[in-house]
Amino acid sequence: MFILTKIADLVQIKASDFSKPSIEAIEDNINAKYANKVLQKIGLCVALYDILWTSEGLIGHGTGEVNVNAEFRMIVFRPFKGETMLGKIKSSTPSGINLYTEFFNDIFVPFEELPPGSEYSHSDQVWVWKAEDDVNLYYDVGEVVRFQVIEEEWHDQTPAGPSQTGPGGADDEENAMAPYKIKGSMMRGGLGVCLWWDSTE
Amino acid sequence: MKVLESQTAVLSNFEVYEHLAELQSRKEKRKRKTPPSNQGLVVDRVVEWLRLWPNPLSQTPITYQADSIPTLLQRLRPYDLTKGELIMILNIRPFTTPALNTTIEDMEVRFNEDQQNEILAIIAEVLGQFDPPEGAEGAEAAADTSMADAQES
Repeated sequence: MFILTKIADLVQIKASDFSKPSIEAIEDNINAKYANKVLQKIGLCVALYDILWTSEGLIGHGTGEVNVNAEFRMIVFRPFKGETMLGKIKSSTPSGINLYTEFFNDIFVPFEELPPGSEYSHSDQVWVWKAEDDVNLYYDVGEVVRFQVIEEEWHDQTPAGPSQTGPGGADDEENAMAPYKIKGSMMRGGLGVCLWWDSTE
Repeated sequence: MKVLESQTAVLSNFEVYEHLAELQSRKEKRKRKTPPSNQGLVVDRVVEWLRLWPNPLSQTPITYQADSIPTLLQRLRPYDLTKGELIMILNIRPFTTPALNTTIEDMEVRFNEDQQNEILAIIAEVLGQFDPPEGAEGAEAAADTSMADAQES
């Protein structure tokens, strides 16, 4: 679920950070730039793991900032396809269930990926799995569920240049999309609300 | 920015937790010079999530140790599981057959019932397990027996 990604970047230490030990200043600088950000096709950066190499600091012309080239590894959240992981139910709509984890919000389980016999209850606004023997199992909001990652979606947030077609084109809609989305499945046995499967211990 | 290698290693939740917990404790020592707020935010949230039930790390004291991972890999080697399956087992620590089924592909085909119970027993032994709640009622049979097997060995 978490991977390490090796990145090379130029770190610019401002004069106001000179009071910090160099290593701390470099770490803070990298974390400020990457932590909690999504890198396209890489994943959600969590925190710096370690610094592998740094160059000598060079004072930039005109600014007084110290420039350091660094190579480092970041902890990145990037579940692989087919991975089973835990999430919580945020909300349900007729098209499926939205899941979240404390640090990541954009997980969606479409209704086709719910077990057969699932129905949406409009009165309760939840999905219900009608398992055999008239047992109704509810996908209640806030429940912890196991789900399997089946697809990921990337939306580059780089601002596009002024569009030729005029304002309010398709670009604006695209920009509103989350940069990294995960599509999940709860079809297999053992997936779904953890309590259904684990409460028998 | 240049990405040199998009994936140099895969980390298990336990390793991530250890690293982040250390970051948090270091932050407390620094006091005045606080690290960037965006890092604090995401680190705190990831830790919070990792310590959430039914994550295995929600137990105090944490049953994972530094040598748990190599031990588990060695014990499960005869079953020929893939790396991804082992990572999921480490992260989820399945203790019932249905839960194990979610981490191992085509489990019914690859392993018979005895083998499945053996795997569960090894997981429980190496990675620990939740304490059985007091006065647990006898519930669904399938899950129950697999649990009992896991505890015996």
